[in-house]
Amino acid sequence: MPVDDAFEAFRRAAEAAISSVNEVAAAAQARNDTAPPSTGTPAAPTGGPASSTGKPAVPTGKAAAPTGKSVAPTGGAAAKGSTGRPAASTGDPASGSTGKPAPGEDVSDTGASPAEGGAAGSPTGKTIAGSPKGKNAGSPEGKGVPSTSDGPSGAFRDGGVPPLRANTREEKPEKGSKGAPKEAEAVTGVTGTAAAARSAKAEDDPLGAGAGAEAPAGIPAGVPLENSGAEAREGAKTDAEGDADGDALGSVSGASPGEGAGSDMAPARDTRPDPLSERGQDPDEIALLEEDDQDEDDESEGWGEAARADRVRELPLPEAVSEALANALTALRNTVTDLHFGLDLPGAEEARRAQSEILAQLDDYVIPRIHMSTAPALVVIAGSTGAGKSTLLNTLANAKVSATGVRRPTTGTPVLACHPDDYEWFAEGDLLGSLRRREAPAPKAEPGSLVLVSTERLPTGVALLDTPDIDSVVEEHHEIAHRMLDAADLWIFVTTAARYADAPAWRLLRLAKERGARLAIVLSRVPTKSRDVITKHFVRMLTEYGLGEVERFVVNESKVTDGMLPDHEVTDLRMWLTELSVDDQRRAQAVQATLSGALDSFRVRIPALARQLEAQVVFRSELRSDVDTAYATALTEIEEATRNGALLHGEVLARWQDFAGSGDLMRTLHLRRPGRFAGKAGQQAPERLSALKSALRAGLESVIVSAAQRAAEETVTRWLHRSGAGESLAATAGLGHVSDELSRRTGKAVGGWQEHIIELIRTEGVTKRAVARLVSFDVESLALIFAVGLFGYGSAEAESTGGLPQRLVHALLGAESLRTIGAKARSDLRARIATLFDDETSRYIRALDGAGIPDESIATRLYQATYNLEVAR
Amino acid sequence: MSVGTTQTRQGLGSRLAALSRIVELGPGRVDPKLLTESGQLLLRAGDRLKLSSDHTVVALAGGTGSGKSTLFNSISGLELSPTGVRRPTTARAHACVWGLDGAGPLLDWLQIQWRHRFARASALDKGESRLHGLILLDLPDHDSIRALTDNEADRLIQVADLVVWVLDPQKYADASTHRRYVTELAGHEAVTIFVLNQADRLAPEELVECVADLNDLLRREGVDDPVIVTTSAIAGDGVDDLKAALAETVARRRAAIQRLEADLDRVTLRLVKVMPDVGAPAFPSSIDDARRIGLTDALCDAVGVPAVGEAMENVYGVRSVEWVGWPYTRWAAKLRPDPLNSLRLGDLRDEIRGLTGGSVSAQAAEVDNAVHALSDGLTVGMHEAWQNGIRDAARSHSAELPQLLSEELSEIAPRLDRVPSWWRLLLVWQYLLVLLFLAGIAWFGTALAYGVFGAGELPSGLAVFGEAASLPWVGLMVLSVLGLGLLTAVASRNFVMLGAGNERDRLEREMRRRVGAVASTMVIEPVERELARCNEFYSALRGVRG
Repeated sequence: MPVDDAFEAFRRAAEAAISSVNEVAAAAQARNDTAPPSTGTPAAPTGGPASSTGKPAVPTGKAAAPTGKSVAPTGGAAAKGSTGRPAASTGDPASGSTGKPAPGEDVSDTGASPAEGGAAGSPTGKTIAGSPKGKNAGSPEGKGVPSTSDGPSGAFRDGGVPPLRANTREEKPEKGSKGAPKEAEAVTGVTGTAAAARSAKAEDDPLGAGAGAEAPAGIPAGVPLENSGAEAREGAKTDAEGDADGDALGSVSGASPGEGAGSDMAPARDTRPDPLSERGQDPDEIALLEEDDQDEDDESEGWGEAARADRVRELPLPEAVSEALANALTALRNTVTDLHFGLDLPGAEEARRAQSEILAQLDDYVIPRIHMSTAPALVVIAGSTGAGKSTLLNTLANAKVSATGVRRPTTGTPVLACHPDDYEWFAEGDLLGSLRRREAPAPKAEPGSLVLVSTERLPTGVALLDTPDIDSVVEEHHEIAHRMLDAADLWIFVTTAARYADAPAWRLLRLAKERGARLAIVLSRVPTKSRDVITKHFVRMLTEYGLGEVERFVVNESKVTDGMLPDHEVTDLRMWLTELSVDDQRRAQAVQATLSGALDSFRVRIPALARQLEAQVVFRSELRSDVDTAYATALTEIEEATRNGALLHGEVLARWQDFAGSGDLMRTLHLRRPGRFAGKAGQQAPERLSALKSALRAGLESVIVSAAQRAAEETVTRWLHRSGAGESLAATAGLGHVSDELSRRTGKAVGGWQEHIIELIRTEGVTKRAVARLVSFDVESLALIFAVGLFGYGSAEAESTGGLPQRLVHALLGAESLRTIGAKARSDLRARIATLFDDETSRYIRALDGAGIPDESIATRLYQATYNLEVAR
Repeated sequence: MSVGTTQTRQGLGSRLAALSRIVELGPGRVDPKLLTESGQLLLRAGDRLKLSSDHTVVALAGGTGSGKSTLFNSISGLELSPTGVRRPTTARAHACVWGLDGAGPLLDWLQIQWRHRFARASALDKGESRLHGLILLDLPDHDSIRALTDNEADRLIQVADLVVWVLDPQKYADASTHRRYVTELAGHEAVTIFVLNQADRLAPEELVECVADLNDLLRREGVDDPVIVTTSAIAGDGVDDLKAALAETVARRRAAIQRLEADLDRVTLRLVKVMPDVGAPAFPSSIDDARRIGLTDALCDAVGVPAVGEAMENVYGVRSVEWVGWPYTRWAAKLRPDPLNSLRLGDLRDEIRGLTGGSVSAQAAEVDNAVHALSDGLTVGMHEAWQNGIRDAARSHSAELPQLLSEELSEIAPRLDRVPSWWRLLLVWQYLLVLLFLAGIAWFGTALAYGVFGAGELPSGLAVFGEAASLPWVGLMVLSVLGLGLLTAVASRNFVMLGAGNERDRLEREMRRRVGAVASTMVIEPVERELARCNEFYSALRGVRG
């Protein structure tokens, strides 16, 4: 019943607005005949003087911007919404305007607006003026009222232009005032999206009928008032920018609807105190209301500025641009999908979550949204567990659509409630497309589904989504809630008198702020007696937080029956929703603001992902270089040990002494004597020779294995010192040790190397001719002697023989070939050890790869995609 | 105080002592964070047990707006803590003490400001004597935006003897309460009471459902047998039940110990989780003989003990030829052309001769591998921390170990150029035989010339040398002298080899002994210390588990 009251009041206000519009228009026409510049309206207190008439030229451009943007991609949707209704609606404004002239006066003094609201429509009976009333009352005929004027009127005053805007440019008034009214009218007459683009044509045609007739060709006649206004303004904007003269007036004409957007709700708002007289006494409430009004102005101002800052968006987006945006988003989506954060670095978990969030938001919201921006707005109700989200939804829907109860958390599956007209849209639309639609809540919450219900009590064009909580023990709920919020056009944040200082609540508010989402806050379950104190405190906290200007609603603690609050508790909220429903333009602005907030947030979120990916790449290469460094050090150690004689200790030394001391060394040399002793060379028992050989081999092996072991430990230690992923990787089994096959492989490699030396000496070691005539030698023994010399025999110890093997080999082979063989033998040994170590390091690389290989190019692609997105916008 | 309490106290005491042992032994082996927490628990336990055992600290904890202060006032019967509708209301903890004697130090320890302390001593006459010994704390909330920067609630929840969680129908399932505290404090059932406050806001059937839901929730989180009391602080319903529960706890005087035991249980659980006890006698505290021998063998190999012995034997054999060999073969060999000389490297021979040995050295890499093999074999199945600990212990002297081994063994390393005196005697003997041979040859020649061919007359004194009849005998003598030399050479060479073999055995034994000694001090001892530490740690861990 109170609701009905409210509606009644609203209807009255709307009618008043219309009548005042007509009155204004008539007056304007009258004056236009004589003095076109002075098109001020008597109805609007702030409008009027000639000087102010022209000023709106500038604000028009600003105000037009967001609208233009929002309307552009959705010509179809707008048309859909309004098609078929003009016939019924044509009569309505006429009766409204003629029937009730008086209330116009009443309303007009509440603010600049009502007059402007109607002003878009025009002056005479010929014009079919738009009426806000129709929609507010929910009657279909009021939905869209086409406005076509062919009179010379174009009477436009700029009643509600805030002084600030009026001051922005001074030259324009001149043009505006002198511009032909015809021009203005022509622009007004244009009702299609296309018309805005074709403003040049409209300008040429003094009779709006031409343009008007042409424009609707693409778009059905019934264009909602706001749209027509918007387009008019677009036209105006185009003119203002592109064409120097006459058109300025066109922009004047646009000025009014611009205000209309901001002030449409003014009448509605002002009616509130009437049905709810007891609230009128509440100073807080009034303060709130005033603040709200203030907010309204500020917001429109803000939008205007935003639009000016970004001129690309001022024009309705041509198909190409929209397509470019869609392509950019798809590219972005693909790139984000390709991302993989394998290493558990600090921040990787967040990045993974951010990745899936961004993907979900792109799929659920952004990509569907850019294709149809005036589609029903999705209002998401979010908040703490037990805050009464479901109760609020039930109350607004006037039906038990979402389960309520004392169990916490209550709601597990999101519930979407919308008007039956929008039902199909949500049932089949792409918005939240990845969620399975259900008719009724399942007994057991199942992830990935969405309950869809329709109810007549909700206004069209606005759907409410009840979400799980953000702070209960069931953590999946938080995730679902955040996903829903990412897909929201508007957020209704619900908190309670007991909870408004909770940390999770403020985290969510901060998120809303960061994302630039359009937000309304409901403070629920407020005990009546402490309402003032709590509200004040909460408002102060919000203000401190920089959210002082957000729309707020207070719901008293009251008896819940059948999951619903008494209806009067939510009247404000319902009104707010209704305004959104009625005012396509405002809704579109809100939708657009959130959408561009989401797109803006990509500027930060995508590069953050890219940075994390880069961090992963860098970290991986750091881990990689840890491995390489450790093994490179090991290789250097081995080289050092095989050069400075460190290898020739222990058994090798003893065997060498044995070999040399027992005379075997000498026996490797034979005087070349024809016949007698020639065959004797290989006949000695090779015990000591093979003992020395195997000792050398074992020594070299142990040097390699020990170095590899140290390298393995070093690598793991280094990895452990790297915070985060290094630790988990280092825990991979066996990385702290050499691989099992290392000693076997090493044995093979060293054996191969020894063979190689023999081969080298056999082929390259061309004996000095002088020597060759005298002496023959056993190649195998010489290879050993050579190896001992190569390992630096005698270089470390002064008391030792000072390079006995070197001198011997030198004498036999000559300096030249000794150098060649030495270099070749060393490089061969190095190559063999490097191969061994490659096998060793590959274990670490495998461990790294097991965590996924971050693709460096994706980071670049992310930046590129972000850039492309910005360009496409 | 009953006997049982005293016993438990001792139990707690020994468990705490075991924990302190763990904190001593743990660094470097156990996660430092866990050790820090254990240390903090020890400190807290020490402090709390020192302070009044007649008082029980009960903290009312909960989210903002759950009605902690109202409940506090309702229990104390006084308007001590300000209540309100603004959130958050209480910023500092308030305390109300029933029976002030001895509570001062406890309140100081709890860091309750003076102006927030209240005494109910005077209220004893109101029949509140059953609450005597209760220190009731009204905490600030833990979940508001203010609590993000203020940890007072957190701190007091950790130290209170009994925590009363004040929940309300709106917030009873908040993650901020459950995830951060309730789940963490599972196992504290004895010292936790859950109060569902604001029961007046629910219809009776709703209240039943709510309590059942809360009960389920708590059980799912590991609180086995939650005590749930429903109250309405404003209406006063259920406050008496809560008081009764508190009175019972206070009367038992056990909450402080139970709380510490529960905390200890939690820490123990976490310790056992990071350091799973593999079973009673998993690791020997000493290294068995097989491993010792294995290590000594490996180290001997690293030093090359067998090779040194062999080299000594061989070189002795070769060298001895020069002294005890048959001189004729030696001379014959010298006549052969020397390849070194033909290469103009004649001095190399001297160099080879100069390979005097006497410097035994250990190869660092092999030493390292030997030590590593020991620790690797020992630590199979151990926790990684102890594996690393034992490895580090084994390696603790790895830098100086090769050097030390070299020095130790060089003392007894054989000099390869050593010449025993009997070699010299034999040399003299051989030369004597050569002389005899030469003399025999001379006699033989003389006898042949004078006796057979009659080349002339010998001086009469020498006539005996010229008799032809002596010729066979002289020839025989010359041959036997030659044979004697050969025989001596062969025999003495055998003696040399035998001696060298013995020498080698002796040398190897000595070297092994010394290597074993070095290994024992440098490797085995540190490893055994670490093993002992490991075992002690695990026994302490078992001690903590009680």
